Amino acid sequence: MTTKTSLLKVILLGDGGVGKSSIMNRYVTNKFDAHLFHTIGVEFLNKDLEVDGHQVTLQIWDTAGQERFRSLRTPFYRGSDCCLLTFSVDDNQSFLNLGNWKKEFIYYADVKEPEKFPFIILGNKLDVTERQVSTEEAKQWCQENGDYPYYETSAKDATNVAVAFEEAVRRVLAMDERTDHLIPTDTVKLHRKPRSAATCCS
Amino acid sequence: SSVMAELMPSDSRRCSYFFLYDGSKVKGEGDPTRDGICYFYPEETSLDKQELLCGQLAGVGRCVSELSSSPVRVLRLRRNKFAIRMKDEFFWALGCSAEVPTIRVCELLDQLINLFCFYNGSVRQSYQRNSRETLAARWAQYLSHLQSGSSELQHIFSCLRTIDSTNVDPLLLLKAALILQACQRCPLVLAGCILFRGRVVSTQMSPELTMKVMVYESENYAKVQRPNGPSTSSSFGGDVSSTTVFLTMSELQDLQSAPVDKDFRYSHSTPHKDAHPKKTRLSRTLSELAFSGSDSFGPGSSQSPQKVSLSHCLSESDNSVFSPAGSQSTADPFNPSPQPLKHQFSSGNNSEDTLYESCYHSFHSEGAGGSRIHSEGGDGSVFEENSHLSAGGGDGDTACEMMVKCGNEESCDDKVMVGESGAGNETTQDHRTDRDPPPPCPDNTDESPLVPITLYQHRVKGLVLALLVEPHFLSDTPSMEEVYHSSLASLNGLEAHLRAISPGAPGTPGPYIFAHYDSIQSTLTTNLSGRPEGAPEHPFVRATSLLHSHFSNTETLQEAIIRSAGAAVYGTSSVAHETYFQQHGGSLRNSGIPNHQDSAFSLPSKARHRLLKHGVNLL
Repeated sequence: MTTKTSLLKVILLGDGGVGKSSIMNRYVTNKFDAHLFHTIGVEFLNKDLEVDGHQVTLQIWDTAGQERFRSLRTPFYRGSDCCLLTFSVDDNQSFLNLGNWKKEFIYYADVKEPEKFPFIILGNKLDVTERQVSTEEAKQWCQENGDYPYYETSAKDATNVAVAFEEAVRRVLAMDERTDHLIPTDTVKLHRKPRSAATCCS
Repeated sequence: SSVMAELMPSDSRRCSYFFLYDGSKVKGEGDPTRDGICYFYPEETSLDKQELLCGQLAGVGRCVSELSSSPVRVLRLRRNKFAIRMKDEFFWALGCSAEVPTIRVCELLDQLINLFCFYNGSVRQSYQRNSRETLAARWAQYLSHLQSGSSELQHIFSCLRTIDSTNVDPLLLLKAALILQACQRCPLVLAGCILFRGRVVSTQMSPELTMKVMVYESENYAKVQRPNGPSTSSSFGGDVSSTTVFLTMSELQDLQSAPVDKDFRYSHSTPHKDAHPKKTRLSRTLSELAFSGSDSFGPGSSQSPQKVSLSHCLSESDNSVFSPAGSQSTADPFNPSPQPLKHQFSSGNNSEDTLYESCYHSFHSEGAGGSRIHSEGGDGSVFEENSHLSAGGGDGDTACEMMVKCGNEESCDDKVMVGESGAGNETTQDHRTDRDPPPPCPDNTDESPLVPITLYQHRVKGLVLALLVEPHFLSDTPSMEEVYHSSLASLNGLEAHLRAISPGAPGTPGPYIFAHYDSIQSTLTTNLSGRPEGAPEHPFVRATSLLHSHFSNTETLQEAIIRSAGAAVYGTSSVAHETYFQQHGGSLRNSGIPNHQDSAFSLPSKARHRLLKHGVNLL
């Protein structure tokens, strides 16, 4: 496990315009373009990194936030190892929609144990001065909805972006280890890939 | 005569012969003909037979040219017809079965020569620099590419192979168009296209140029290594490669005058570092998209930009985004953008504009030119003494037997049921007059300088981004990285989307068959794909082939119905489109003598009615 490189799929979900593509681009290419297209459907980039001695290839899936692109993006939720629910701290509606995004993900990704699935919440656009969502509000939502880690990020000035993705990797790896320790009492071996796990558990 | 009979292959839609003969190598009386044969297909043909055919065709071709003071375009030899091209001392001939439309044979040869020049530059120089064996492999490769993989209908129209847009979310076509637009933000990028599994998803280039670029794609996909193989840029991994290609001046001008929004370029290329116009543009693009519904991206919507362009209205590039096959090239030729040409090679004078115009129309005029000059056996005394070339028109010309049996396309005209309705479409007439006389485009390939340029290719599994870029793009690392990184995520995503699309059930045989050919974008829409009816012997395919030939040869012909005892096919032609329609079922009330109850006469209205839902408007 420690020597071989594993592929982890993480997916960015959230309202259109909160900065999902910018977060991905900042993390992978360390660039920021204030005038990106609306994403159509899905896009992804790979990034190799080492976290706590584990070599992983992070496959970051960026999705279209607009409602009209729903049918294009939802088929690609399956197989995700971690979901980054993203809102913009200067847009209260995007914060209020977090719950809907979580529901949409759980439904289309066919997550069997939603309470155990690693979600991470990102409040992006920290660089913007006029906030509509306070840190406290956001933290409270995270606590009440499953004790999710919360990061305030800025894709524009690179604040907390790498930290958030590394946390995503840690969460996934921790899940794997927990799964591995459970084996003795269980006759069913749970693979890390939810797709195969789904068929095992049903 | 028996030798020639042996030479002639059995009936086939494909090219049966192709050769390039260099007359400069055979000057003296004693020089053997074989010294002049640069390439001969099929390659297994014995040298004696190669010499026989080359000698006969080259001799007759030159003789007729000198007597008529005009280039020979087509020669008939028994049941084959040969498209002929002569350039300097070079003589090309490409032979197909006589039932293949003349226009198709000529197109095939022109495409072949143009392909060679695109990848190798001038023919003379190529043969000075490379061995015959090396170049023989390329001719063979291009010939096989041009004939591979297409359906029978696609062969008839020699159209671009596009992805099945009826099966693809139009948003994905928009996504592809936006990727190409984003690449053009780099000023070194002239134009591009995106291909998936050998089919066009989106293109900013003319159909002719797109077809040429696709050869490199398919070649790389097949992992065939060229002798002077593509160079791979290691810094971007094995998925990026490039090769030098050669554009004609007209092609280069086409690309440079294409209306790329300069505000859209990366800021370092423009004095004003203001990205605001870009943002406005994009959001408009998306909002138009979002509210116009998916139908507007179907095959039908691709018509509107063309219509506009033909009426000299379209001057903005924006609209090209909305056409599945990309129509920037259609917007431009009729209304060249006044932007200053910044390219070092461009001179922008009027004569080149003229050349451009004529090149653009070469497709349409080729048939006319071919038929005008082509030599029928028996109608020229030149051939009387040469029995080999006295090919009688009528023998076994099975293509015509559906309704009438006739020897050549021209003589069929009077038997077409609904004849020419030349009355009063002034614009059509004017337009077609403009296309006369036939342009010298293919002949000029060597005269007009060929400009080296770089074809850059970025592959993501079955998806390929192909860009024509200025040669120094490859040494401009920041530009290359910018293009690579700004498109990578989108290409990954587009590939995932397209791969996820199921091939789609082959449509249940409907009550009718149609084929709609767009001659501007060189695309074909049909409900026949993948069905057994697509076979060449199917009445619809044969009728379409024959009617297409008529439309090509007879510029004033707009509508025709052709039929046998069992089937009737309606065809209609306009400047930009040809549409063919066959209704199944129902009894054909066909007494042999035209009467008003004949069900064939209801075909035009049925076609208008039925095809509306396919986005084909015949009203």
